[in-house]
Amino acid sequence: MTTHVTQAGEVYERIAANVQRVVRGKPEVVRLAVAALLCEGHLLFEDVPGIGKTTLARCLARSIGGTWNRIQFTPDLLPGDITGVQVYHQNDEKFVFHPGGVFANVVLADEINRGTPKTQSAMLEVMSERRVTVDAVRHEVPTPFLVIATQNPIEMAGTYRLPEAQLDRFLMRLRMGYPDLDAEVMVIISDRAGVDPDELPPVVDIPTLQNAVAQVRGIRIDTALVRYAATLTSATRQYSDVRYGASPRGSIALIRAAQGIAATHGREFVTADDIKQVAHPVLDHRLILTPDAELRQRTAEDVVRDLLAKIPVPVAGASGG
Amino acid sequence: MRGRVMRGRALCVLAAGAVAGLLFAPVFGLWALAPPIAAVLVACYAVVELCARVPALLPVRPVLALVAGAVALVEVSLFRTTFHGLPTAASLRALAAGVTDSWQLTLQSTWPVRPDAELLLFVPLLVLLTAVLGVELLRWPAVAVTPSLALLALSQAFVAVSGAVAVLVAFGYALVAACLLASWARSAVVPTVALCLVAGVAVAAVDPGPAFSLRRTQAAHAPLPRTTSPLGEVAARLSDPDAEVFSYTGDAPVDRWRLVVLDGFDGVTWTPADRYRRLGVGIGPPAGVTVPTESHSARLTVPGDGPWVPSQAMPASVDGIAPLVDEATGALLSPGRTGRVEYDLRWWEPRVDPDRLRDAGVSAEFAPGDLGIVPPRVAELAREATGGARPTFRSALVLEQYLSREYKVATGEPLPTGSGWPQLREFLFDAKRGTSEQFAAAYVVLARIVGIPARLAVGYRAPTPAPDGRVVVRNRDVLAWPEVAVAGVGWVPLDPAGGAGGAAAARSGLAQVTAAARADLPPPQDELPDPPLPADEPVPTPGPDIDFRELAAWAALGLVALLALGLVAIPAAKVVRTWRRRRLTGPRGVVAAWWEVRDRLRAHGTRVTPGMTPRDLAAVSEGPVADTLHRLAHRLDAALWSGAGADDGDVAAAWEAVREVRLALARRPVGARLKAVFAVR
Repeated sequence: MTTHVTQAGEVYERIAANVQRVVRGKPEVVRLAVAALLCEGHLLFEDVPGIGKTTLARCLARSIGGTWNRIQFTPDLLPGDITGVQVYHQNDEKFVFHPGGVFANVVLADEINRGTPKTQSAMLEVMSERRVTVDAVRHEVPTPFLVIATQNPIEMAGTYRLPEAQLDRFLMRLRMGYPDLDAEVMVIISDRAGVDPDELPPVVDIPTLQNAVAQVRGIRIDTALVRYAATLTSATRQYSDVRYGASPRGSIALIRAAQGIAATHGREFVTADDIKQVAHPVLDHRLILTPDAELRQRTAEDVVRDLLAKIPVPVAGASGG
Repeated sequence: MRGRVMRGRALCVLAAGAVAGLLFAPVFGLWALAPPIAAVLVACYAVVELCARVPALLPVRPVLALVAGAVALVEVSLFRTTFHGLPTAASLRALAAGVTDSWQLTLQSTWPVRPDAELLLFVPLLVLLTAVLGVELLRWPAVAVTPSLALLALSQAFVAVSGAVAVLVAFGYALVAACLLASWARSAVVPTVALCLVAGVAVAAVDPGPAFSLRRTQAAHAPLPRTTSPLGEVAARLSDPDAEVFSYTGDAPVDRWRLVVLDGFDGVTWTPADRYRRLGVGIGPPAGVTVPTESHSARLTVPGDGPWVPSQAMPASVDGIAPLVDEATGALLSPGRTGRVEYDLRWWEPRVDPDRLRDAGVSAEFAPGDLGIVPPRVAELAREATGGARPTFRSALVLEQYLSREYKVATGEPLPTGSGWPQLREFLFDAKRGTSEQFAAAYVVLARIVGIPARLAVGYRAPTPAPDGRVVVRNRDVLAWPEVAVAGVGWVPLDPAGGAGGAAAARSGLAQVTAAARADLPPPQDELPDPPLPADEPVPTPGPDIDFRELAAWAALGLVALLALGLVAIPAAKVVRTWRRRRLTGPRGVVAAWWEVRDRLRAHGTRVTPGMTPRDLAAVSEGPVADTLHRLAHRLDAALWSGAGADDGDVAAAWEAVREVRLALARRPVGARLKAVFAVR
């Protein structure tokens, strides 16, 4: 086990080092993003423009090798452009399937909120089902299959906000946040040095990544921590400011993401800190607050932060305190 | 409900029951109560623990707890009823008697009662019931506390605490109740503690007079057996003078032994009071005795039958038999006694100087007593005998002197018998000779006529000891004598017949003092001067019912006690907690180190929430403490979540982190460190 996890940790180190050649000053965001990839979770980057979310997504996609596609979501993008279409070939007198943009190991769905709901729905369905059905014929997407989407939450004109009920298809929602001064200086220097995300070399191949993903799935997690994660998720449903809390899928996501984080630390077991570290990226976008809470400027981050402070961290049945 | 919370609440409920049960300590003594109460509570907790581990047993938990508690009680208090430790039918009968009879037997006894299982069983049984109910109601902590509160109220109905003890009890109960309520609503803690303390201080400060007690309101006197009055046996015993009655050896000279005191007189018969109780561990000097007292003891051997056994005026304790006692007269009764008994008697004797006794007034606590229909001329004789003086001890001595001077002790056959008005008229006006029966009875009625509270005692004169110290009391020593109530001294025996018969010199302290006072009396022909009246006591100025100064004093005392308790108890509790944590091994040892660090940092003002891990705490800490916490976090994660556990080295390393944190905190300012020492958490 230790050897396997060490390999998963190495995969993380290689990807993180590669990405951070371009994305400066955001090591924790990079760690979370790679953790999501290691546990087969789709990622949603959401932040204001110019923060580097597309850059990070492109870097991630480039770093993990395999096939990758970038789909720029626009209002005129059709579901068929994503999933693919059946085209009639007159010479052969038969329909031939032309795969769309989702047929790649890594799909970069840029500015996903600019696509129409119909297109978004097609994308989200593929993320969930990992296959495309056209004319009653199923077409499996490649494995591994990772979607890295970006979204700009403030330029809402002419966009279609992702349906909240579908948001939990994403394992994590990450926010880049503004860099601090030193990091911004480094970003500028890096930009002047001309490092292009599209020129980043792949640092892991698909078999290696798949191997790492399989190993992360086997990372040990104590029952007390599973209960802790479930307690956190369950508590979101009973919180007074929350109209709809996280579903059991949120609990599963929390555990999977914690396993991914443990792998990035080179550890063979999950700790309480791992769960706490992924609680915000995993749970925030799954909570729908009450109108009253929103009027009071409460946010999902506030709710999760409050629960993390209040719910006791388990100590595996030890007593004496 | 999570297991740890449930266990914590259960412990609080059991502790509340223990506090309430131990409040019966003034009745039974702390050391008599502690073992059975501890036994039932431990058994009850064991059942709680068992049911926590085996959830299938939860539906029958109350039954299991009751059975386990009862078995534990049998093993601790009723072992003699078991067969090689196994409860028997006798054990069940004893438990049943504990439910039905023991509380009544307790009310029939002087307090503290003898620590016999048959008397105190009802307390541990109530504690068990309280604990079982409390545990079953744990889901609602505010309700779970009510059974122990009811038991506490019952204990106060038996004997109410007051003074500093009340404050301490209130504090103790408040702590337990607050801990219980804290698991339910932290906001309930402060009101609970405040309410209990206010109640404690109020009970301590407000003196409502004699406290309510079931013992006062419950008719719990033991029934008096029907028997012949020893007064009627005086003449018969004198007819067979050599028969041995009892013998004794003692550590101090004794003048007389009493069998019974007769203070009821209807003109025909003299009757004893029906107010006997079971004699407990011991009784102190009566409340009306304000002069110093000293303790004496003797070992008595009493052959024959009969319920009365020799005693002294103020018995303190009896070992060897379990008699009934009339605290007011000191008479001992052993109902159903057949055959010889041996027992050790300890008693109190007042110490008073002759001048004080001679000038003392009669006690205002006692009415002179009933007389029936007083025949003509008797009242006139009484006033003549006392020279018209007001009722004092001096006039009581004059009356004694009058009788011994004017009347003769009857000897030979036939001896006069009877002490009703007809016999007394015959004695006072015609025959003018009688036995001690007539002398004593005449004295009592004459004294009562002039307002001197007097009563009639029957017993034996103590003869001269043999060289080996053993004294044999025979029929010839039978004696009836009067006693008068003297303010501050109690009942003082006189002997109008003894003086007439030329009795031996007084030997006991009180008899010698009485003899000295008697010797200072003026000659009979002189007018008797009244002793000086006692100085007027200052009349208290009317004021509010509540003495606010006293209230404030008690409140201050309570606060000082609390402060002192905090000064000692809080650091001591922390030391004990650390010591207990240091004893843990394996992963629990590492966790204990984390808790220790957490609590120390919290005491130093770091804000700690339940959801914090060592890394979270490191994020809000500074410098070396943060580094130490990161190392501790690594140890803790490995111990708890890796599946590999922790060995002694890991535990030692974790506690090394505690040491580093402690050293880092030791560099903080003195004020901050002092504040941390007395921080509650």
